[in-house]
Amino acid sequence: MIKFHKWVPWIVAWGAGLATTGVIGLVIVFGGLFNATATTPHLPIVAWAAHTAFINSVKVRAGVVRPPAQFNRDQIAAGLADYDRSCTGCHGAPGVGRATFAAGMTPTPPFLLGASRQWTPAQLYWIVHEGVKMTGMPAWGESQSDDRVWNVVAFLEAMPQISPADYARLRQSAERPGAAAADVAAARAHLPAVLMLPNEGGRVPGAGVTQSRAAPTSASPGL
Amino acid sequence: MTAAGPGHRPGIGLPLRLAVAAVLASTALAGCGVSPRQSSPATGDPDRGAVLVTRHACGACHEIPGVEQGNGRVGPPLKGVASRSIIAGYLPNTPDNLARWVQSPQAIAPGNAMPNMGLSDRDARDIAAFLETLR
Repeated sequence: MIKFHKWVPWIVAWGAGLATTGVIGLVIVFGGLFNATATTPHLPIVAWAAHTAFINSVKVRAGVVRPPAQFNRDQIAAGLADYDRSCTGCHGAPGVGRATFAAGMTPTPPFLLGASRQWTPAQLYWIVHEGVKMTGMPAWGESQSDDRVWNVVAFLEAMPQISPADYARLRQSAERPGAAAADVAAARAHLPAVLMLPNEGGRVPGAGVTQSRAAPTSASPGL
Repeated sequence: MTAAGPGHRPGIGLPLRLAVAAVLASTALAGCGVSPRQSSPATGDPDRGAVLVTRHACGACHEIPGVEQGNGRVGPPLKGVASRSIIAGYLPNTPDNLARWVQSPQAIAPGNAMPNMGLSDRDARDIAAFLETLR
């Protein structure tokens, strides 16, 4: 025979704990105890929980995305133009700082020079396309075509290979077509002609970085 | 009450002891409140610098001890940066040079990956003061 009466104190204690947690939660929500200003940083445990939840959410959900095997120079250039118009304010670019307002954001948006080493192309697509709650990152897929989102991913993959000087020339051409055409053509020639993407299932070390920046290469399928 | 029970001295013993303990504790806490870091107008405020390092997303590119999301792999890790003799490849590591570097990296090493972040003179001095604590 199981003696339930032995468990009654534990069940009561568990219920009391739940009730206490609920009351604390209600007090925080209705009492204004959560400081929603962007001038105060998150508590370290809140920052950790939110950031880790974000990373795992992307890793779990981006599995449905099927990236192309490669990007070409036109996609990278188009992605650069879109990135320059819509992303540099919060994320910066090669040799370009963020807009001053970005330092007032909590969480503060990251520079993305390391993004292609941190995320797969599918995961980058997911983040750009779907956005990130409570960070200020919009879901660009709500307003832009899938192709344009892929172009931005192409640029993110190529960004470590684009010098600040080339970026400056290319953004100039994005803003004023025809300006300094020779300069722009030279800078554009520095973009990778073909950017091979790693196979599904994770980053391949060195992918997107080992190719020559001047000439197209026949990268092996392993890359 | 225990104070009235047999074998106990009545009266103010416990409250007095509590009061003394409280005074001692508050003194100790006040001592802890003093920043262990050096701070003066000339060298910048390292505590404000630490906040700015987070606000300007330095951790996206640099590994920085004690900074939230300070796990970047693009630039060099900043652990021990205060102990380095040279920064940016060729500048002697002085507080002034460190401030100049974080304020105008593109002027000091054109074409390097670190962007100018629009830091004020005070911001740069405070960030340099924080970096000086990373020994």
